Amino acid sequence: MFRAALRSLGQHRVRLLLTLLAVVVGVAFVAGTFIFTDSLKQSFDALFSAPQADVTISADSQFASGGQGGGPGSGADQTPTIPVSLLPQVNAVDGVAGAYGMVTATGAIVLDKDGKPVGRAGPPDRAVSWLPDASINALSVSSGQAPQASNQVALLESTATSAGVGVGDTVTIETSGGQQSYTVSGLVTRGIGGSDGGTLTVFDLPTAQRQMLGNTTTFTSIAVKAMPGVSQTELANRLSKTLPGKLKVETGAQRSADIANRLQTAFGFINTFLLAFALIALFVAIFLIFNTFSMLVAQRTRELALLRAVGASRGQVRQSVLAEAAVLGLIAAAIGVLGGIAVSQGLRLLLKVFGADLPAAPLVIQPRTIIVSLLLGIGVTLISAYVPARRAASVPPVAAMRDDVSMPAKNLRIRGIIGTVLIVIAALAAYSATRNVNDNMLATRLVGLSAICALIGVIALAPILGRWFIGVCGLPLRGNAIGNLAVENGRRNPRRTAATASALAIGLALMSAIGVLAASTKASVAAVVDDTIGADFIVLGANFQPFRPEVFAAVKDTPGTSTVTYTRQIPLAVGDDQGVLTGIQSGKFQQVFNLTMDSGTADNLLPGDAIVDSDTAKRLGISLGQNVPVDYVSGPGFLILRGTYKPAGPITGWISDVQTLTDAGGRDLDSAIYVRSAEGSDPTTVKASLDKELAAFPAVKLQDQASLKDQINQQFDRVFGFIYALLALAVIVAFLGIVNTLALSVFERRREVGLLRAVGTSRAQIRRMVVIESVLIALFGALIGLSLGLIYGTLFRKVLESVGISKLAIPTGQIVWFVVLAVVGGIIAALWPAFTASRLDVLKAIASN
Amino acid sequence: MTIAARANSLSKIYGDGDTRVTALDAVDVEIGAQQFTAIMGPSGSGKSTLMHCLAGLDSVTSGQVWIGDTELSSLSDKELTRLRRDSVGFVFQAFNLVPTLSAIENITLPMDIAGRKADPAWLDTVIDTVGLRDRLSHRPSELSGGQQQRVACARALASRPTIVFADEPTGNLDSKSGAEVLGFLRRSVDEFEQTIVMVTHDPNAASYADRVLFLADGRVVDEMFSPTSASVLERMKAFDTARA
Repeated sequence: MFRAALRSLGQHRVRLLLTLLAVVVGVAFVAGTFIFTDSLKQSFDALFSAPQADVTISADSQFASGGQGGGPGSGADQTPTIPVSLLPQVNAVDGVAGAYGMVTATGAIVLDKDGKPVGRAGPPDRAVSWLPDASINALSVSSGQAPQASNQVALLESTATSAGVGVGDTVTIETSGGQQSYTVSGLVTRGIGGSDGGTLTVFDLPTAQRQMLGNTTTFTSIAVKAMPGVSQTELANRLSKTLPGKLKVETGAQRSADIANRLQTAFGFINTFLLAFALIALFVAIFLIFNTFSMLVAQRTRELALLRAVGASRGQVRQSVLAEAAVLGLIAAAIGVLGGIAVSQGLRLLLKVFGADLPAAPLVIQPRTIIVSLLLGIGVTLISAYVPARRAASVPPVAAMRDDVSMPAKNLRIRGIIGTVLIVIAALAAYSATRNVNDNMLATRLVGLSAICALIGVIALAPILGRWFIGVCGLPLRGNAIGNLAVENGRRNPRRTAATASALAIGLALMSAIGVLAASTKASVAAVVDDTIGADFIVLGANFQPFRPEVFAAVKDTPGTSTVTYTRQIPLAVGDDQGVLTGIQSGKFQQVFNLTMDSGTADNLLPGDAIVDSDTAKRLGISLGQNVPVDYVSGPGFLILRGTYKPAGPITGWISDVQTLTDAGGRDLDSAIYVRSAEGSDPTTVKASLDKELAAFPAVKLQDQASLKDQINQQFDRVFGFIYALLALAVIVAFLGIVNTLALSVFERRREVGLLRAVGTSRAQIRRMVVIESVLIALFGALIGLSLGLIYGTLFRKVLESVGISKLAIPTGQIVWFVVLAVVGGIIAALWPAFTASRLDVLKAIASN
Repeated sequence: MTIAARANSLSKIYGDGDTRVTALDAVDVEIGAQQFTAIMGPSGSGKSTLMHCLAGLDSVTSGQVWIGDTELSSLSDKELTRLRRDSVGFVFQAFNLVPTLSAIENITLPMDIAGRKADPAWLDTVIDTVGLRDRLSHRPSELSGGQQQRVACARALASRPTIVFADEPTGNLDSKSGAEVLGFLRRSVDEFEQTIVMVTHDPNAASYADRVLFLADGRVVDEMFSPTSASVLERMKAFDTARA
C-alpha cells in the first residue's frame, strides 16, 4: 500500500508542487523565526566576552534611562551625573587597577557638508568620552587615532560614511553646548558589531563634559578596571561599601546581562508577531492542501476502488492517502527549514531597513527548530488530508467497474446550520461588545470571539454563499456561451470554490481590518493635532532632542508672528510613576495648547503649581490643591495640583511654569518653540522668515500642523507597512491556492475542454473561460474577506476608542485597491492553468478513458 | 453526386523508427453529400484515424483532405477551429455533452460559441425529430444515455453543417436506444438532406447506411452499397479469416 502511495505522489508531481509551496512558506516562516532568535541569542553571548569595564559606577537614579513620553518635543532628557570628586575615592579602593571618568549622552548631532544632520529620525545621536584603557574599552580605533584635544573627535565608521568625512577632515557637530567644528582624528568600531542605526561621536573627556553636560565637574559614570585576581563581584562589593552617596555599582557581567535581557524582550515581541503570521500562512495552507487532496482522491476514485476490489480494507485505503500526505508534508517541511535560513537572513535585512542593525551572529539551527518545523509541516498536511482520506476510504469496490464515477456530493445542510449558528453567536458577541465599550478588556475579548466565530461561520457558509455570489456576479456574463460556461464552472463545485476563496478571504480580512485601524489611527492623530495644538508653527529638535535657547532668541521677534513661546521638559516621578514635566512661559498656556480642562484651571500657574492629565491624576489618586511630592533628577520636590485636563493623544503628563523646571535643576534647553502668526499675516511669508532665522540651527526643524501629522503618520506607516508585508504572504499563498484549484479543475475537466475544442471553441475562448472563473473565485474571496475586515476593523476601532482612536476612517481607496488586486491576482493565477487548458490535445481529451 | 468531403492519398504515420506505425496508407476516399456513409473495419484498421483526419481533428502526415471546397492541411489552428464550429458536426461515443449546460444549451453550443443565433425553425425541426422537447431544460446528468446521444445528434445537426461525423455513436447504448439514434441519423439524411459519416464496428449499425467503406491496415479494401446486417457481417467475417 505504501508503495502505491509513493507512486501516486510521483505521478502528480507538478500538481503537488503548489500544495508543497504553501506548506513550505508557512514552515519557512516558523523555522526562520526560530533561527533568527536563536542566532540573536548566540550573538548576545559575544556581549560577555567583549572588552568592557569590570565595574561601572553611576548615579543611582530612577531616571537613569531618561524620561519618556510627553508629546511633541518630548525632549525630557536630563542625564543623572556623579561628581568628579568621586574619582580619587574610587582609585583609592583596594583592587582598583584604574578608574576613568566617562560621559555617555545623547544629543550630539553630526552635520554633513551641507549642514544637514546625519542619520534619520529615530535612533539617537550618541556621544561618549574616549576611554584610554583599551582593555576595558568596547570601542577600538580602526584608523587614525583617538581624540586628544578639544578640537578633535573620532566617529563611528558608519557615522563618518554618512557624513562623508574621513580621518583628517573637518566635521561640524551641534550639541547643547553649541555648534563647533572638529578635526576627525580617527574612526572607531564597536568590539561587537551592530547598532541601532544612530550616530556615535567620541570626544576626549573634557570636551565631552563641556559639550554634553555643560560643566567639567561631573561625569555620567566611572569605568573601573580590576587588579588581576580581584573578581568583578568582589570589586563591586568593595566599591559599594566604601563609596559615599546613592550610587549604582554594576559589574561588567551584570551590564551585559541587562543589555541581553533588554534586547531579548524587544525581539521576543517580534518573535511572537512573526510566529502569528507563520500560523496564518499555515492556516491558509490547510485550505490548499485540503483542496488538492480532495481532487487527487476524486481523480483516483477508479484506482482506489480497484484497490478495494482486490482486497484492500477501508483502513488501508485511508492510510495510503495519509501516507501520501505525510511524505508530502515531510518534503515540504524539509524544504521549509532550508527556506527558514533565507527567511531569517531576510528578517535581519528587513530590521536593518527599519533601523535596527543587529550584531553579527552565526547561523544557529537548533534541533528544536528542525523538530518543530517537521512536526508542523507533517501535522498540517495530515490534518488537511484527513477528510479527503476518509472520503477515499468510502469509495465502494464496485466503482472500479463503473464507467463514469464521481464522488458523491455531500449535502451542504450541516454546513449551513453550523455556519448560521456561528454567525448568530458572532452577531450577539459583537452586539454585547458595543454595549460594553467601557470595559475595555471585556469588549476586546468579545470582539475577538465574534471575529473568530464570524470567520469560521463564513467559511462554513462559503459554499452556499459562493454559489449565490457567483450566480449573481455572473449574471452579466450569461449573455455569451463562454461567460456562461465560466460561471457554471465556478458554481459546479461549491466546496472547492469556497475553500479556495476562503484562503484569500482570511488574508484580505486581516489586511482590510488593519487598514481600517491604520486609517482611523491616523485620522485620530490628525484630529488631536488639530484640536490640541494651538500654534501655527512648532520648532522641534531633530529626534526631539532639546536645543539651545539661542534658537528661541533668533525667532522670537520674527515679523508676522503674534506669539512665540518655548517649552522645556524634564523627567519627574511621583513615587514609582515616571513622567514628564513640561514647563511653559507664564501666561502663554492658551497660545500653546488647546486643552480641555476637566477640573480646576490652567490660568496663572505660578512656579510650583501644576496641572496634570485626568488619567494620571486618577491613577495617582491626587486631587486639586494637593501638595504632591515628586522626584526630579536633582532630588525631591513638591507640585501643587491646580487642575486636570482631558488627555489628548500625544499630550499627557505634568504641565507647569518654566520657572518650576529651572528651580528643579533643569538645564537651559528648550524642547519646543510654538509660533502663532499675527492676524492677517501670510503663513507662507511667516514660514519663510522663520526658515531664514532657523537656517543657522540645523539641529531643529520647523513644523506646521500638516508636517507634524506627516511625521507622526510616517511612524505609523512603518509599523503598518511591516504588517502588510507579512500579511501579503498569506495572500500570495491564497493565490497559489487559486492556481492549484484551477490547474486541478482543468485536469479534471480535460475531456470537457476537449469536447468544447472539438465543437469549435477557440483556444482564446478556453483561456477566457478559465480566467473568468478565476476572477470570480478571487472576487468572491475578496468580498467575504473585505466585508469581514471592514466590519471587524470598525468594531475593534470602537473598542479601542478609549485608548485614543477616537475617529473612524474607512480607507476607501485602499479597499478599492484590494478589489483591483483580487481581480489582477485572479487573472495572473489563471494564466498557467488557462494556457494548459488551451493547449490540451483535443484527440486525447475526447478519447474514451 | 456532390462531394461533401474528400481525402487524396491521405497518409498518417505515428512515431519514428522502431515505433513507426502507419495508421493510414495513401487513402483515397470521397464522401458523397446527402449520403449516410459508414466506415467499418477491425480494431487498429485506422477507421477512427481516418475520421479524425477528415474532420480536421488530427493533422495528416501527407496527402490532402477537403471539406466542401476547403483544403484542411493548409489551415491554422484558428481556421480549423472555425471550420469545425461552422461546417462540421460531431457525435462521440461518450462524453458528448457539457455537464454544466442544459440540453438546449448543449444543442446550441457551437452557435453560442460563434456568437450566432440558431435558425429557430430548423432548431424546432431538429428538436422535434429527436423527440426531446420536454427535456430541454434538463442537465445531462438527468438524462438517460440514449437521450444524451440524441441531444448530441441534435447539436451536431443544429448548425446545418456541411458534414456530421459520428464516432461509435451507439457504442454505449442498449439496442433500443441505439436504434432510436440510428433511426434519427437516417431520417436526417432522408428528410433533411444531411451528410453523415459514422465509424462503427457494429454490422447492425452499418446497415442503416447508404454505403459502407471497409478499412484494413490503413487502406480502404472494399465498399458496399445498400448494406444489410447480414451482408456486412459476412464481409467482416472475411477479415477475420484473412487474418487467421
